[in-house]
Amino acid sequence: MRFLERRALTASLAGMCLWSLGTFTWAGEQPPISTGPPSAALVAQADSSPSSVPSSRPPAGPPPGGTSIEDLLLQKGTITMDDWIQVRAEQEYSGAESARRLDAIEDWKTRTELLPMLRDKVNFGLNALQFLYSHQDAHVPEGKSQDNFSIRRSELLFWGRISDTLPRWHALMEFQSINFGRETPTGGSGAATGQPIAATFFRESYIDFRPFQSWAPYMNFIRMGIFRMPFGIFTETSGGLRDIISSPYLTSVGSGNGNRTGSAGTIDFLQERDFFVDVRGKLFNRLEYVAGIMNNNNFHANATGANAPKSFYTRVRLFGTDVSWISFTTIQGETNNANTNINGRGKGTFDRYGLDFRYASKIIPGLMVQGEWWQGHDGANQTTVGRPANGACLDQSICGGSGAPGAQRRTWYVLAKYLISDGPLQNWEPTVMYEQFDPSTSVSNDLYTRTILGLTYYFENFPPKVQSKIQFNYEFRHHQGNGPGVAYDSTFDPYAQNAFLVQFQIRFM
Amino acid sequence: MTRYCGTMLLIAGLALAGCGHGQIFPSKVADGVDKDFDFTAWRNVPNAKTDRKVQLGGRIVQANTDKSGVVIIVTQLPIVERPAYGPKDTGRRSGEFAVTYAGTLDPKWLTPGHRLVVVGTTGQAKTVIVDDVQRSLPSLTANCVHIWRTGGKEIADFPYNIGGGYEPLEEDTHCTS
Repeated sequence: MRFLERRALTASLAGMCLWSLGTFTWAGEQPPISTGPPSAALVAQADSSPSSVPSSRPPAGPPPGGTSIEDLLLQKGTITMDDWIQVRAEQEYSGAESARRLDAIEDWKTRTELLPMLRDKVNFGLNALQFLYSHQDAHVPEGKSQDNFSIRRSELLFWGRISDTLPRWHALMEFQSINFGRETPTGGSGAATGQPIAATFFRESYIDFRPFQSWAPYMNFIRMGIFRMPFGIFTETSGGLRDIISSPYLTSVGSGNGNRTGSAGTIDFLQERDFFVDVRGKLFNRLEYVAGIMNNNNFHANATGANAPKSFYTRVRLFGTDVSWISFTTIQGETNNANTNINGRGKGTFDRYGLDFRYASKIIPGLMVQGEWWQGHDGANQTTVGRPANGACLDQSICGGSGAPGAQRRTWYVLAKYLISDGPLQNWEPTVMYEQFDPSTSVSNDLYTRTILGLTYYFENFPPKVQSKIQFNYEFRHHQGNGPGVAYDSTFDPYAQNAFLVQFQIRFM
Repeated sequence: MTRYCGTMLLIAGLALAGCGHGQIFPSKVADGVDKDFDFTAWRNVPNAKTDRKVQLGGRIVQANTDKSGVVIIVTQLPIVERPAYGPKDTGRRSGEFAVTYAGTLDPKWLTPGHRLVVVGTTGQAKTVIVDDVQRSLPSLTANCVHIWRTGGKEIADFPYNIGGGYEPLEEDTHCTS
């Protein structure tokens, strides 16, 4: 019994000793861990500005889940208490500095996120920057050259989205063409030649308005302003995405002044841009429609003021696949031949009918064929921009103009291209196009024809945003003349002589 | 007046001809899709919801092609009906997921920025490398994917609001056999 009591006493004493030792050891560690003032003082020195003291400062204690290295080193006697304090102070300083930097970054992030540029409210891009070399076989006046370097397009684009109701604003500036535009003056033949009146930088400016979100895409939005008109395919295709260098004849053809046959002179059959308001939508994911009203006087009309009588237009486009379609377009209205900026328009009823198609093959990827057919009537006494004409009067001595009784015009083209997507000729794209333009279907000997053989190499090709390429086009051009019995010399007619063009383009947005 | 009437009749006729908004996926593929699938919960605990048939939309971040197929990393976006059907960027980040497509796809469909809707079955989380960082992402095995070649733009921007002109939006559905 005494033996048992002695063992119990021995065990108790041993336990107390061990507990005391443990307490002493822990007590030896405790002060540094709980000591705050030295490190706190250093942190205060690090952050002199009270406002910049981060609220998310890391805790000064040991890292979660264990003892820190400096604690262990101190415990083992490898470092002194002064070293320990210095290490912890540096750690706190470093942590505070990191937190301060993070706060600063967060502050800048908050500010920059409000920038319109980062909220899709303002964007800009390069629609097309094109450097062109052209050689034409047609003779040129003395002092000019048949070989030309030029900037074909230098178009910067700005756009943004304000809200769901205002999903798009858009402005496109053409910086290479700041020459003055002319208009056809009012008055009879005695009126002066139209004077240069407008230098137009902007080519496109419009606002989209979507009044009812729930109606989209059936009634998607209302567009108002100036933009590429929804007339067929070429007219609506950006200059930075076109497959050939020259514009098609349906946009503009011919040179010089008109005559009584209605088939001579420059004819702007379909203007690329105009002032308009229209509504656009898509039905059943298959049928796109556009319907609107326009000035019908090209994009200069903002500067020239009064412009032609309005015209109504509509287009319906039926999709066979996502990128293949057939569509029908019509324009109906009146035109005038005074205060106009469009060549070849007369006074009276004006109409256009168009049929277009595009087939982008899924069977042969890279193959695309498209075409357009257009016919339309221009009123009497058609004019050339800058020359006077007034009314439908056919007596040139009184009314000026061409004195033509009006003309039914017709044009069509077919274009095919094939993008080679692998092999040594990867990114090369051969293109061929044939087109005809008949200035007056009732007059012979006036037909324009052109065959274009093209070859394009794409440096970057991520349409519609990015397209950098070089294009080589050879154009076989032919022009019969300006109507029966009209003297015609094709030597100086650029529409009757072949041409070679090379164009280097960058597009990025 | 006759011309206007003719135009209106033509529009009406073509509208009727264009009736029938086609589904982007075959009905047998779309059947049985969990319409109440919680992407956020799945993203947080990817392995808790496996073998669910789901439909998700998003924007392609990257795609890796190997012998077994294509692994597409997608940032999830909500699928909306208006103004145009498809995944729409609302500006809020929701997270990425991985799509395994056991087939071949032309690289033109896999460019980052393109929009995608996928129908597939959820599986175990997949370890992938995104921007040189190894990550474990929720994954699904695709039955069908529908891709819009938007190149980072919104689907609703096409065809009238892309650059200075009209540009149709190419899209296609691809299904594993």
